[in-house]
Amino acid sequence: MKETVIEILASIRPDVDFESAEGLVSGGILESFDLVSLISELSDEFSVTISAKELVPENFDSVDAIVKMIESLR
Amino acid sequence: MKRNILEWFQKTVSDYPGKVAFSDTENRITFKELSLNAKAVGSAIAEISKDDTPVAVFSGRKIETVSAFLGVVYSGHAYAPVDATLPDLRIKSILETLCPKIVIADKDNIERARELGVNSEIVELESLFSHPIDEARLDDILEKSVITDPLYIIFTSGSTGKPKGVITSHHSLMCYIDAYTSVMGIDENDRLGNQSPLDYIAAVRDIYIPLKTGCSTFIIPKEYFMEPDRLFTLMNGEKITAVGWSVSAFTVLTSLGAFQSKKLETLNKICFSGSVMPSKVLKLWQENLPEAKFVNQYGPTEATASCTYYEIDRTVSEDEVLPIGKPYKNYRIVLLDENLKEVRKGELGEICVSGPILALGYYNDPERTAKSFIQNPCQNGFFERMYKTGDIGRINEDGLLEFHGRLDRQIKHMGHRVELDEIEYAASLIEGVKESCCIYNSEKEVLCLLYTGTAKVPEVAGALRKSIPGFMVPRKLVCTESIPRLPNGKTDMNKVKEFFLRNKR
Repeated sequence: MKETVIEILASIRPDVDFESAEGLVSGGILESFDLVSLISELSDEFSVTISAKELVPENFDSVDAIVKMIESLR
Repeated sequence: MKRNILEWFQKTVSDYPGKVAFSDTENRITFKELSLNAKAVGSAIAEISKDDTPVAVFSGRKIETVSAFLGVVYSGHAYAPVDATLPDLRIKSILETLCPKIVIADKDNIERARELGVNSEIVELESLFSHPIDEARLDDILEKSVITDPLYIIFTSGSTGKPKGVITSHHSLMCYIDAYTSVMGIDENDRLGNQSPLDYIAAVRDIYIPLKTGCSTFIIPKEYFMEPDRLFTLMNGEKITAVGWSVSAFTVLTSLGAFQSKKLETLNKICFSGSVMPSKVLKLWQENLPEAKFVNQYGPTEATASCTYYEIDRTVSEDEVLPIGKPYKNYRIVLLDENLKEVRKGELGEICVSGPILALGYYNDPERTAKSFIQNPCQNGFFERMYKTGDIGRINEDGLLEFHGRLDRQIKHMGHRVELDEIEYAASLIEGVKESCCIYNSEKEVLCLLYTGTAKVPEVAGALRKSIPGFMVPRKLVCTESIPRLPNGKTDMNKVKEFFLRNKR
């Protein structure tokens, strides 16, 4: 799953090295419209519903955090 | 009649001295304090200035920035806000056009301003607040001002890669704020929730409405717009009653699950602008705020942010296309064909604007000014300027204006004006890129770039990020063998569009 998440992130922001990046949201790397694309692609790919409750920086700040959130939603 | 926005401000300061004018999550400033800060900045700038050229302001999205803007106005200059987070090349290009003699920078941005500032005197904003106020000098400057003096210069995207500095006068700004507050019904009891960056045109409402009416503005931090629940909790707590936001703020919040678990309790006046509002999004907001007033605003920076408005008087259906309505007070609209003749009723034409709300042109750019600001071709008897928007419109059976796209390749992306030509130009400067074609998928709100050459996708994305603002950098980049062409040699846009539809990822 981690590779797929990285692949999705890289397709949205090809200029960022997501393997090591931290603070994706709290550090201002991803902008609001990146987040919208990310949520729609993650929802399609993993068949999960990401609702407003999940939209806190802690769930999106790193690839590991995103993976953990998806697993909790499945 | 008022001739300067400071006359609005000074009246409000004497009516509501102790009332909060601006606040954010950390600080607040009353009208009286704002007035003292602005006068101190104004006295300091007046002391060092030798002419009437614009003053550049590098300052973040916070309440002190308003003191900087008003301070510059007190000193008798126009201010030009510069977003310090833009790439170096972009800022240099803005400074080359502006040639500021004086730059004001806040503590966080002063180093960067020093690195970039060409031959300018750079002063630190915070240090100016303790400068002694020279009332006599400020009174004298205000006394000599006239209503058509420039107030600010705001830079927008230009197709040749050189941003255009739109100059707005005190007169234009006062006409717009006057018309807008009356349409929205905003008074001293309102609390505005600011979403726009302060260097951007949409922010003029949040900055100037308090100065005119005595209401107050709360600057909502950017990150709240990624978390609807946290945003709504903040807005309810701050008792925000009125907002003027870009359409993208509403679409993003809606995609992120707005109203799923939190409601808005105090908001009752909503204006949206910047691009076409999807009616599905509007319907959701209307259903959740049944008592609120909703206004669709249309207009370019060159006509002081606006032209027309449409107050939505019913809950919209999902497939409806909203008209952009009728002109605000002091705005005149005509639709012209390619021969600059007025079109017949119901026909498509270019939306052209005249009235006191027209910008004074593009700063230091007579050529592009002359191209867009022309003598009204329907008027031979006297001198009347007219701005050609490049937008196509039609008057419907109800006498309301409808928006029908652009004459050129300018698009609206997340509330920003973007010239696709400018992105291709920036790409052409990158080593390893031969040709490129940029398109916009408006449904998904994604910029896509197809290019040829040896450069890898991350290299191209990284290089673009260094020369154009982040929102202009295409999120989909594909390297290909050749750009599809039509028999006449022009790029086959339909083939390029199909290409991106096929290659989802």
